[in-house]
Order: sequence, then C-alpha cells, then structure tokens
Amino acid sequence: MNYLELAQDVVRRAAARGVEAEAIIIDEQETLIRVDRGQVEQLSQSGSKGLGVRVIDGGRVGYAYTSDFSTESVKETWQAAIELARVATPDEHRALPDPQPIPGEDLEIWDPDLPGISTEEKVALAKEVEEAALAYDPRVAMTDHCTYQDGISHVYLANSRGFAGAYDRTVAVSYVTGIGRDEGGQTADHGLGVSNFFRDLDPQAIGREAGQRAVQILGGQPVKTQKATVVFDPMVTGEILGYLSMALTAEAMQRGRSFLIGKMGQEVGADIVSLLDNGRLKRGLASAPFDGEGVPTSASRLIDEGVLQNVIYDSYTARKDGAASTGNAQRGSHRSLPSLGPSNFYLQPGSLSHKEIIAGVERGFYVTRIMQTGGTDPITGDCSMGASGLWIENGQLTRPVSGVTVATTLPDLLQNIVVVGDDLRVVPFMGVIGAPTIRVEGVTIGGTK
Amino acid sequence: MISKEIATKVLSAALRTGGDLAEIYVEDRTSLSMRLEESKLESAVRGADRGAGLRVLFGNLAAYAYTDDLSEDSLLAAARAAAAAASGSSKTQSIDLTSRPSPLEFPVLKPFDSLKVAEKAQMLHRMDETARGYNPHVSQVIAGYGELRRRVWIFNSEGLHVKDERNIVEVRAMVLAQKNGVIQRASQGFGGQMGLELFDDNNPQALSRDLAEAAVKMLDARPSPAGEMTVVINSGWGGVLFHEACGHAMEADFVSKGSSAYTNMLGKRVASPLITAVDDGTIPGRRGSLRFDDDGTPSSRTVLIQDGILKEYMWDLVEARRMKRESTGNGRRQSFRHMPIPRMTNTYIAAGPHDPQEIIRSVKNGLYVKRLGGGQADIAKGDFVFTVTEGYLIEDGKLTTPVRGATLMGNGPEVLAEIDMVGTDFALDPGMGMCGKGQSARVSVGQPTIRIPRLTVGGTDEAVTER
Repeated sequence: MNYLELAQDVVRRAAARGVEAEAIIIDEQETLIRVDRGQVEQLSQSGSKGLGVRVIDGGRVGYAYTSDFSTESVKETWQAAIELARVATPDEHRALPDPQPIPGEDLEIWDPDLPGISTEEKVALAKEVEEAALAYDPRVAMTDHCTYQDGISHVYLANSRGFAGAYDRTVAVSYVTGIGRDEGGQTADHGLGVSNFFRDLDPQAIGREAGQRAVQILGGQPVKTQKATVVFDPMVTGEILGYLSMALTAEAMQRGRSFLIGKMGQEVGADIVSLLDNGRLKRGLASAPFDGEGVPTSASRLIDEGVLQNVIYDSYTARKDGAASTGNAQRGSHRSLPSLGPSNFYLQPGSLSHKEIIAGVERGFYVTRIMQTGGTDPITGDCSMGASGLWIENGQLTRPVSGVTVATTLPDLLQNIVVVGDDLRVVPFMGVIGAPTIRVEGVTIGGTK
Repeated sequence: MISKEIATKVLSAALRTGGDLAEIYVEDRTSLSMRLEESKLESAVRGADRGAGLRVLFGNLAAYAYTDDLSEDSLLAAARAAAAAASGSSKTQSIDLTSRPSPLEFPVLKPFDSLKVAEKAQMLHRMDETARGYNPHVSQVIAGYGELRRRVWIFNSEGLHVKDERNIVEVRAMVLAQKNGVIQRASQGFGGQMGLELFDDNNPQALSRDLAEAAVKMLDARPSPAGEMTVVINSGWGGVLFHEACGHAMEADFVSKGSSAYTNMLGKRVASPLITAVDDGTIPGRRGSLRFDDDGTPSSRTVLIQDGILKEYMWDLVEARRMKRESTGNGRRQSFRHMPIPRMTNTYIAAGPHDPQEIIRSVKNGLYVKRLGGGQADIAKGDFVFTVTEGYLIEDGKLTTPVRGATLMGNGPEVLAEIDMVGTDFALDPGMGMCGKGQSARVSVGQPTIRIPRLTVGGTDEAVTER
C-alpha cells in the first residue's frame, strides 16, 4: 500500500464508524549542514514520516497523530481521533470540504535536481557562504550558525468526501550570521537565501549580505527621542508584515482578534498599499496545488489600493461567512490540525529603488535590523520594536544608529506609507512574506533625552 | 525501549569509521492538548511520536541521523548513515553499558489519566465562563490545556546508559477586552513538571479572572511614553529579561565561539554586586528540570554570577569535551530529530535586600512592568527588546495610569551592571516559559522585583519625556 492508499484506507475505516474523516501523511527527508571556520561542525541527514487524522462527528472535531505506521498504531490513532471528538463542542460550520478539481499547472515547487545533489556539493556551498561573509570586510570577525538546510517532502491527503491528492515539494535554504567587530564593540546580522530550487541559492550573495549588514551598524549610537521619517529595509518590512498578515484572516475578523474588525470596504491605508496573498505563485515557498484540507489554493487581493477588500478563508470560516474558501488552510506538519493562515503574502512593490527612496529623505532613519518579539500586535494594532540602522541626512546615509526603539501603530503605519520600493524579496518570517523597502512618516523614535 | 544488546551493537556500528564517541538517544512521547475559543471546545488532539537519534563525534564534527523506526535494522542503518560522515577505521573499544539511576525525584502524584478528558474540557469551559462573567467588555477567551509525557533513554559508547521521564502539564489563556474600537489583551499560563497535582495549588479560573481584569484595565491605557526612564520589573516571570539578555550569552556555544559578550570574562565583575544568578535544573516540579540532560549528563545547579562576579557558563557535552572539562548538564534537544545544544533550564536572579514596596516608592517618574511579554536579544551586542503587556506609570512613588504599546530596549551587560535595587520577594514564574534557540525548550525563570535606573522605553508618545 502506498501512502496515498494508506491515507484513503484510514479514512474509509474511520468513516465506517459514521464520522467524517480526513488523513494526511507527510514523508520528509531533511539535510542540515553547519560549518565553522571552514570545517563541517554538524551534518545531519535523515527522513521521517507521520500520519494525522482529523475526525468530525456532528460538528465536533477530534485529532490524533502518530509516527508509527504499524497496523495497530494506525488503528489506535484514528480511534483516538473519534474518541476525542466526543469532548468537543458541536459547531454546525465544522465539516470537511467537498472535493474540487485541482488545476494541473506546474507551480514549480519541485526541484528535480535536489535529490541528486551530493552532500559534498552542499558542504561546499555552506563553506562558500562563510568565506564570502568573512571576505566582505576585515571587520567581519567571524560567522555564527553558518548553515545549509534542505527538505524534500511528499504530502498525501484524503478525505471521506472523496478527495485524494498528493504533491511533492523541495526547499533549500542557507543562512549565516555575520559578526562585526571593531574597537567600539560587536554587532550581528544575517544573510539569507531560500528557494524551492538548489541552484537559485547564491552563496556569495548570502555571505556578503551577512557581512554588509553586520558591519554597517558597527559603532551605532542612539539618537534623540523624536518623531521622524523612517525607511524600513525589506527584511524589516517583512517582519512587520508577518505579524500584520495575521489580522487579515477571516478567523481574526470573526473572533475579534484583528485591529481591522469592522473596516471591510473601508480605506485602511494609503492608496499605494496593496497587500496580496497568492497560494499559486510560481516558485512560491508556500505554493501548493491544494491546501491543508484539499481545497485548491488561490490568489486574493486583501487590501487593494488602501481599501480593505477581502480576507483569507479556510472551509470553516468560509462556511460561517457564507463565502468560499480561498484555500488557506495551512498544515505545518502532520502533528497539527489545519489552521487558517496566509500563503505567499506580499506588499505589491512600487517603482523606486531603495537608493532612490533614501535619496528622497531629508532627515530620517534607515532601519536595517529590528527586534520585536510580540511588539507588533495584529490584535491591538500596537507596533513597537528595537531598531538599528543608519541615519539619513539630505538623502545620504551618515552615521550608524542603534539602541533605539521605533513605534507607531498598525493603522497609522498603513496610512503613513508614502513610498513602496521595487526591491521585493522573500522573508520567511511568520510565514512566507514578500516585502520591499518602504518609507513611513511620523514614526516615534525612542532614544536619548 | 531497546535492549542493551541491541544498543551495544548499534554503537559499535556507529564507531566503525573512527568516531570518538557514539550515542543513541531514544525518545517516546505522548501528548494531549485541547483548545477553547468562542466558548467552544474546538479541538482535542492526541499525539504519539517515537524515534531515535544516532550521533557520532569525530573531533569537532558531529554527525547525526535519526529514524522513527526502532527496529534493530533501522537503528543500524541510522548508525551507518552517521558513521558515513568520516572514513577512518574503528578505534576498537569494548562498550560496557552500565545503567545509572538519578538521585533526583520528580514525582507524579496524580497521573494524567486520573481526570477524564471530558473533565479537563470542563475546566476550560469554566475558565471561559469566569472571564466572560467578570466584565461585559470581555470579548474573547482562548484557553488551552496540554499534557506531555516524554521518556528518553540515552546510551553512549563510553558506557553511559540512563533514562529520564519528563511529565509536563500546562494551562494557558488569553483574554481580549473591547471598548469603543479599542482591543486589549492579556495572556498567561501556569504549569509544571508533575502530574495533575498541579491543580492543588493553581486555580485555572483564578488565572482567567486575573487576565480578564488585566485586559479590561488596559482598555483605559494611554500610549506609552518613549525615551529613557527608570523601570521597575515585577518578580517572577520578569526573570525572562535576564534569561534572554544575559543567560543566552552564558551558554557555552556562544562563549567558546567568541560571539558572546561574556567570552573570557570568568572571575570578572559583570553585574552589580546585588546580583547573584543561578541556573538550576534540579528543582522538583519545574518545567526546565531534568534528571539527566539530553546528553545523559546529570542535571546540576550552576551559580553563573555570584555577587556580581561571573563564575561559570552553561555547558553541554560537545562544548565541554572541546574544552576538556565537565558538562554542567545543560545539553538539551527539542526531540530525537535534533542534536543537543547548550540551553538554560530554570534560570533566576536570587533575592536581594530591598523591600519591593520601597523600590516602587523610590521612583519619581518611571514605568512599572507588571507583565512582560516575549523578548529577544542579540548575543553579539547584548541588546535586548521586550514587550510590556501590562505596565503602569510610576508618578511620585505610586502606580498610576496603565500604558499600552510599550517595549523595553537595553543592553544586557550594561543593565546587569546598573541594576540598583533588588527585592526580597524572589519568585519563580508560574511555569509557562518556552525558549526558542533554533529548537524549542521548556524553561523556567525567576527573580525578585528589580529596579533599573535608566532604560529606553519604546512607545508612540514622545511628549512625556519632556516633562
């Protein structure tokens, strides 16, 4: 029995007990390589698999998973899911989605080369990333966590309404932390490359980015507390958008967990702000033919030229609103229930380069690094973080800045974006976020008196 | 889970290419979790996860392979895969596995199954009712229950053979309140390494009521001031600030690489003389505690800072071997799919001499942080950022207006040196800490009330600092 047949078999057996059932099997191979000072420090290559069973019994959900595919363990798993559904509260909108045709287009999420690429070649890439970081500037003292990682996954999904589907996906990523050091102290920042395709990774660019980002903030000093123009680089924009994206789900709206509740159809941002979600983006890291419950993925314009037009849906929230699922039920692993979330979420880029954006700022703060666990809150709309970067005077980058905070609110941020750059890049932070450089007015910088 | 004979065979196979040390880490984990929102018990999930990780050390290289199949053939295949990272020949040594018990007792008085799943679900419903009943502005309640039983067996080619069992129970809640278009939230949890006796001393309904009160209070919060000010941080969970801003930089991997601000600082003054800081993995009932760490080293109590002087770092097996010293029992891993790395267990700042009320009274203008949210630190520079989820202005020595949207920004080593008041009211956190360092691990933190004379506060109100 192959894994799709096994998933279908589990569904049949569970459904025979009078419940709706869905089974997912994820089979993955992973490689992790970490190098330090030109030597391989860690090398891990392995595979694992898992089965997750969701049961819906009269609107009540139960879920169980296992990594053990013995007949006995599989049976215990679907039986546990049926058993657990009994304690859940019935909800008429809880049901599995009906099967829909899955478009056959190639989303380009499978790299046929990756399974054949040797460990030696992957090690060489990681070493080259480290060398490039160190070569960028003599003040790059060392690297940390210089890593190459990849994953090959096979996803199989079946449900008792007749859905059965499978797809394969690859992802390759390399990242490194550059440590900058001079007489004034130490700084750190990262370089990152990620793609479905191994050959897309550019080790020189990844290493150089880490070196450049770390060195440019060496010697940073706080500025005075003030309101100012701020330019966020794409990595920073991406981190903020990652949190913001959580406010644009139907679940957040239906449950009062979004600062945008009650704003549907209204202007919530500047007219240059368009936020999109596209689960069918070619070479999108979050692209898939169908979502975590078998619904075809799709593209939605959520905020269109500043107006809140749509939110993303899974089948549950769609049924509740009398809408159609946008195919946004995400499935992190076989251990979790499908949960509503963005796929490839991005801010539509504009036409200016980041250099042109900076050149247009008389006085302001170019933020290249933030720290903000929880400081950007999609529920309350608060947006506050620690920041480092470079000060801008008369369109020129002048001195490094660090040890300050920048704060606004998400409603103000959306309204006060005055320029969106052309340099969209993928930031895998709280999802897969596409972010360009942005210029924002009226941000409070917290610094010295 | 696997016999000594099979373990010996697998370890020998792993050493065939000249490894210095081979290790088998077997893990069996079962879990139950439940989640309530919209007054509905939305899901109940049971999980079973089992497997083994094979590690072989060759000098500074650690090779790793894992499998979710515990058969002899599969373990041997994983051993060969890890061994394939090198191509030397076996430095044949006989492996003599000797099982070693732990002197630590982490009892489970009331097993997880002493309450029915439906009774645990009822507990979440009662939490929901309590929070909603507290105030009509309460607009949403999310409550969760989790239990985890994690058993591990570790064997290595130096004869190590140990077993640990970690039982974790936890309850979490988030309460939202809404008024005139403003939404505020409060979240917290409690838990421990024990059985359901957790509930003998911890009341889930009291938690949800407290959170409802905090969320409603925050509805009237004003935007936080921005700029430098004196900050007082509450006891207990406030210790997360030390964990993030200083603790990580005392983990041996950052130290031995030289990326930590505390490299080469042993014996030197790194903090105010009021500060003594400890990592203690042996405290019964705490979620960061271990009988043996994930390298098989007995857990220990490590004084990191004594009266302001740096005394010790936190070591795992790999870093300790590299420095030819003993591990402190701080090697931890998320699961059998991960290699262990140096991690904190239960980490705290010990009690000091000041009356906590006096600490607040001593501040003319400042911020009192009752509840901290998440935080993040930059190891290299030592900078940290924390979100304040419940904070109040201190005016003339009294707590006054609640403030929203505040973050704290500072430099860990600098703040540690500047702390000028340390309370007598030491407390450990309620037991819901989760630490991320590439892998996630359950930890505890603790501290008494502390005063930091000068810290940068991030907020949107720039005017307040002008006063």
